[in-house]
Amino acid sequence: MASPARTELLGLYRSLLRTAREFCDYNVREYVKRRTSDGFRQNRNLTDPDLIASVYREGKNQLAVAKRQALVYSIYAPKVKSIMELDAAITTNTTN
Amino acid sequence: MASKLLASTLRQTLTKATAYSVTRQFSTAAAVSVAAAAPAPDSYEDPNGIIMKGVKIAGRPLYLDMQATTPVDPRVLDAMLPFFLSRYGNPHSRTHLFGWESDLAVENARSQISDLIGASPKEIIFTSGATESNNISIKGVMHFYKDKKRHVITTQTEHKCVLDSCRHLQQEGFEITYLPVGSDGIVDLKELRAAIRPDTGLISIMAVNNEIGVIQPMEEIGEICKEFKIPFHTDAAQALGKIPVDVEKWNVSLMSLSGHKIYGPKGVGALYLRRRPRIRVEPLINGGGQERGLRSGTLPTPLIVGFGSACEIAKKEMDYDHKRIMALQDRLLNGIREKIDGVVINGSVERRYAGNLNLSFAYVEGESLLMGLKEVAVSSGSACTSASLEPSYVLRALGVDEDMAHTSIRFGIGRFSTEAEIDRAVELTVKQVVKLREMSPLYEMFFFLLSLLTEKEGVNVWPGFPCLVTPEAYDWENNNFHLFDRVEADAASAFIALWLEKYNLSSQSQYEDVQQLKWNGDKQMVASVRNEVCKRLLIFALSEEAYLFHRRRIAESSHK
Repeated sequence: MASPARTELLGLYRSLLRTAREFCDYNVREYVKRRTSDGFRQNRNLTDPDLIASVYREGKNQLAVAKRQALVYSIYAPKVKSIMELDAAITTNTTN
Repeated sequence: MASKLLASTLRQTLTKATAYSVTRQFSTAAAVSVAAAAPAPDSYEDPNGIIMKGVKIAGRPLYLDMQATTPVDPRVLDAMLPFFLSRYGNPHSRTHLFGWESDLAVENARSQISDLIGASPKEIIFTSGATESNNISIKGVMHFYKDKKRHVITTQTEHKCVLDSCRHLQQEGFEITYLPVGSDGIVDLKELRAAIRPDTGLISIMAVNNEIGVIQPMEEIGEICKEFKIPFHTDAAQALGKIPVDVEKWNVSLMSLSGHKIYGPKGVGALYLRRRPRIRVEPLINGGGQERGLRSGTLPTPLIVGFGSACEIAKKEMDYDHKRIMALQDRLLNGIREKIDGVVINGSVERRYAGNLNLSFAYVEGESLLMGLKEVAVSSGSACTSASLEPSYVLRALGVDEDMAHTSIRFGIGRFSTEAEIDRAVELTVKQVVKLREMSPLYEMFFFLLSLLTEKEGVNVWPGFPCLVTPEAYDWENNNFHLFDRVEADAASAFIALWLEKYNLSSQSQYEDVQQLKWNGDKQMVASVRNEVCKRLLIFALSEEAYLFHRRRIAESSHK
């Protein structure tokens, strides 16, 4: 199997980051973003074409998983967002 | 093609949380029917915030309680869903495709789990969780060998299910030794050796403690068990996927595993049973003879597939996660220590799992601290998280004072925690602790003493340690402290040794590292700790009445 071209690799990277943005859960979204950039950074010096091809294939599988799960998470999104996403001041009133 | 269109319209209609989707009016019957069939809204959530149990918060709290449970990894959910939707067969059905494919998935999961712990797939049986696995191990092993073996050794810091199973065995007539632990939470190997008897049937020691996060010396304990030929059981629910687990290196015969602590689903666990030499157990649940007769019952295929997938992911991600979590723990600890003092880590600092940080804050009341931390989901070792009024038995076994045990908080950091969450948790914790300390009379007294001391020359003080003031040092008539500037070196060093031990600063290098302390951002107190300071340290004790008397006199004199 031919080694993927540079454009394909960059395309995969961008697709993964785009899919990350679609997650409505703050923690998962940050994780996907961080894991893709760290993963690509870790593998940036690979030279063996077979290894690059297999890593690329795995990346594509992960992209498919991410796309499916972004949809599932959005269907069951909670009504209230995480506190980390609200940038207004937090109010904590204890009503007794 | 139609399904893709439906999926995209679904996403656009129903996603409210992302700012990128635009809601449009649709006339397609599918969208309308789906919108009508959306899950019924929970009564406590509305777009303005959440009101539950008398507390109002603006959004879902940030989750820092990874020892209680972990969120399900999206990759795990992806592996599980087909088994809820179309591949719903019973893995024990041998006559049709549904059964065959489920069985294949279960066996695949079995090998994924055994890979992670260095075992063979035949040595894994599935249970409903680590609690059931612990029950099978302890009760099952002792019931099987009840004629020859009547003694069990365990520790005082084990999980409740282990301690309760042992108590059940005690009622049946077995004898249990509960080994004490040191103040760092680690079990003493010499005591373990001394407790072994000829009729000891099982030694059960958990690998990573769920409350304080200390890692026991598993290899050394395994050596001892091998030497005496006693089965070694460990509860590895918190250790799996986080630290390297190898059943050969540890020489364990039984190991309990849990699914929901490694980003898998709740309701599934496993038990590792060694085959060479074979360890026999009496089954707790009888039935159709599934799982080699040891645990009958239909296997929950989706949960098992999720568990296996979580193990596979954990194996790949262990190094990456561990590095990250260690960095986050340092960030959390340093962030808190920079702003406030009197912070004590419960449990050993060296031998601990990085994702579990159990802190006690001096001079702060535990319940009120938790009440102010509603935007952070954390757990505590204090009474309000347990049904009784007693603080956690684990902290009591460590020898932590009751007041410190009540203010303990357990921060759990995991794969999905972010730096921003840690920073926010630090900010909220520091804010709440400072607020409570401002209201605390004990703290005020300590602060007053400290400010008094620093005005005198030639005084070296350790900030963060309550000072003991002797009544003799207080001159009642003239409202003065007699300051002794020379104290018996022996008495001083004994006192210092006690305080060093209490606050886990027993190594010389840490003792010398206490150089600077920032105080509430306002005052700066520089205290240098040197060996010779013992000879020049002031030690004095103040009773509360003396302190209040003194304050009143100051107030009266200022009114004149």
